[in-house]
Amino acid sequence: MTYPSPTQIPVTLIAGYLGAGKTTLVNKLLNSKKLPANTAVLVNDFGDINIDEQLIKNDSQVDNVIGLANGCICCSIADDLTAALEQVRASGVERVILECSGVAEPAKARQQCYYPGFYPQACIVLVDAQAHDQRCDDKYVGVLARAQVQQADLLVVTKTALNSQFQLVALQPSVAVEDAGCLDLVLGWQAQDFAPDVHGDEQQPHFAAKTWRITETVSSDAVRAYLLGQPQSLQRVKGYLQTHEGIVEVQQVGRQIEIHARPQLIKGSQELGLVFIGYRGEELPQQAPLF
Amino acid sequence: MLTLFKARSVITMNDSLPRASAVLVRDGVVLEVGEEATMAPWLRGQDYVVDDQFADKIICPGFIDPHLHPSMAAVLLPMEFITAMRWKLPWGEVEPVTTEAAFDQRMATLVAEKDPQQPLFIWGYHQLWHGAMSKTRIESIAGRRPTVVWHRSFHELYMNSSAMEMVGVVAEDIKPGMQINVERGHFYEGGLGYAINRLNPWILAPDKYAAGLQRLKQVVHHGGHTSIGDLATGMFNFSAEAEALSQYLEGDDVPFRTRLVAHGTVLTKGGVPPTQGPELAEALQQRNSHRLHFGRHIKLFSDGAFFSQLAQLQQPGYIDGHSGEWLTTPEILEQHIRAYWHAGYQIHVHVTGDLGLQLTLDILQKMQDEKPRFNHGFTLEHFGFSTPEQIRQIKALGAQVSANVYYLHELSDSYSQSGIGYERASQMARLGSCFNAGINTTVHSDFTMAPAEPLNSMWVAVNRVNHAGDVMGATECLTPHQALQAITINAAHVIGMADITGSIRSGKRADFTVLDQDPLTCDPMSLRDIGISATVFEGKVFPLS
Repeated sequence: MTYPSPTQIPVTLIAGYLGAGKTTLVNKLLNSKKLPANTAVLVNDFGDINIDEQLIKNDSQVDNVIGLANGCICCSIADDLTAALEQVRASGVERVILECSGVAEPAKARQQCYYPGFYPQACIVLVDAQAHDQRCDDKYVGVLARAQVQQADLLVVTKTALNSQFQLVALQPSVAVEDAGCLDLVLGWQAQDFAPDVHGDEQQPHFAAKTWRITETVSSDAVRAYLLGQPQSLQRVKGYLQTHEGIVEVQQVGRQIEIHARPQLIKGSQELGLVFIGYRGEELPQQAPLF
Repeated sequence: MLTLFKARSVITMNDSLPRASAVLVRDGVVLEVGEEATMAPWLRGQDYVVDDQFADKIICPGFIDPHLHPSMAAVLLPMEFITAMRWKLPWGEVEPVTTEAAFDQRMATLVAEKDPQQPLFIWGYHQLWHGAMSKTRIESIAGRRPTVVWHRSFHELYMNSSAMEMVGVVAEDIKPGMQINVERGHFYEGGLGYAINRLNPWILAPDKYAAGLQRLKQVVHHGGHTSIGDLATGMFNFSAEAEALSQYLEGDDVPFRTRLVAHGTVLTKGGVPPTQGPELAEALQQRNSHRLHFGRHIKLFSDGAFFSQLAQLQQPGYIDGHSGEWLTTPEILEQHIRAYWHAGYQIHVHVTGDLGLQLTLDILQKMQDEKPRFNHGFTLEHFGFSTPEQIRQIKALGAQVSANVYYLHELSDSYSQSGIGYERASQMARLGSCFNAGINTTVHSDFTMAPAEPLNSMWVAVNRVNHAGDVMGATECLTPHQALQAITINAAHVIGMADITGSIRSGKRADFTVLDQDPLTCDPMSLRDIGISATVFEGKVFPLS
């Protein structure tokens, strides 16, 4: 059987250290009915994969593939990503979600997804609110844990209930795994730095983010006024700003804006700025915000 | 029937009787080593022959390489070697090729000599010596003959247009950003996987693989080995590998035995919990035969490849600031080690950098706290970078060292320039310190990472001369006697066979390596050139011309 001229297949990477909740998120996606048809979910192994029986196509498990009733597949890669990519490409899959190993560096993993016929759409990195800060100081994996965050396109914070005080100081788009819409963000996330010539599926919303670094001292009221003036399609805004009252954290979800003082949080100016998240890249601020 | 082997000298590696002139053997077992005169009580009333073919030779205990990879070697050995370093192979010595012109000349010779109907696979290219490689360069010599030039590191390769057509590389599929440059015929990292997936029908074809294992058998014999360790059985596929090994590395014509050490993470792949690993490993012993033995050994992995500068280093790390990688998530490595430690296994862990080593030692410390064990044989494999403080820890924890000492020869010069700096590069393979501390220490080839020639490993360990001719870390040099221990009795301890081989004494198997010169008294710089005239495996002579 031959398939139509191959457009490039987008790959969404799910990375993060051991225990950050990658498999939990993958299970959520598999059971959510949100997966677009013809999605292949590639996991390291089926050990902790848990799919509702009703969603599994009868007798569909052959070797390393489980077929789902909605036309998606879950496929174990067993240490050979390239072989798995060849396999899913031959089966007519239109998009891929790839669960990375806990010690994968997102930048390297992303590079592997420039495999002929594929491109990396986004790298989602899960961050364990309970363990992350301590892990960043670990002598073995501290460097890796920090690199995983730095190299993420979208951060998903997990286990927030176990550490409600957790603050991830990174000027990158982030979302809590419990937030309504998290799965949509994960599935629709589009990395800023890669705009492929062909989109696999125009039906899917593509999220985008724009980061502006802002080091000037600003007024909280002006910030609030500016944010209220942004288009409805803007989903979220987050960031840290130097105001006349000190450093504040800015959070906006929908039309709800919160600005809190965070005096101890920021050490240097490199984390100051705002991240805007929305459906359409062109509707995000194209120029540095002026307050 | 008894056989009395006579020699110019027998080096026993048994400190209680270091030298002798004769060995008496019955049914593959040594009855007595010593002087012919004292052996009379054994011979009275018995049929025996005096075998004096080695009368002017030196008999050593059979050499042991405790860490190589027959399956990987089987893939590589059918290829043609063009290398910057010397490789002594049974079908001819590969002379060093260290210039661009010489590489092309050698490639031209291969094109002229080899079957024109077959694609040409070349291994050993390195830009440092051989200049920039490209599709056009290959074509200027090999023309339309499908030709693949594999980098020495295995991490990249080049193909000419015919090779790309042969394997089905689709140029339209290749987009910018991929680790493939079609113009140059260059495939690297992720792009290498794309190439290998298409090359597999050629390089993994059953007849090729079988021929590769036959060659491996010759290589092992040629190096003077009578025992080897396959230190990651199952790296490709357990049952296929086990069947191929039993077909080609078992039988009366095979002059060596193999300790099979299963690849621990492959054993439990597919989501099997590490706690079930020992049970699966136990079952492998049902496959054991006379020469092929799974024991209660397991192989696990800490940090990344030494040749790719992916070893995990403590501060100050690499000069350019990049970091190494973990092959196993540290917590998962600990889970595996715990399962096998409590089950009483001998655990072999691949460690390359001093941070990878530290992780492994810290885990071993935890295991000793949980369940103290003596004589556990925990072995640190490869042992690229280490610190003097770690030597003390290794000793205190009762671990042993199996080092790829060849790193020092091939890499210490370039790693001191672009890698880790002179101080640490000169102290790779800190073996003198290991011996001084009383740690059981051996050396290995990790073939095909280094030549499977124990005398070559011995030569590097004794002289510590790198390829540029500089002596690196002179105080870490081994004495010839220590280095001979490393490739015999110490290696036997590491693969759990010291009860049957590794030295020549009454009761052990009659495993000998027969040399033309005495490795303990010759000029140390000539060690790697000593001729090997034969090996003896369990009493049977296997000549080497």
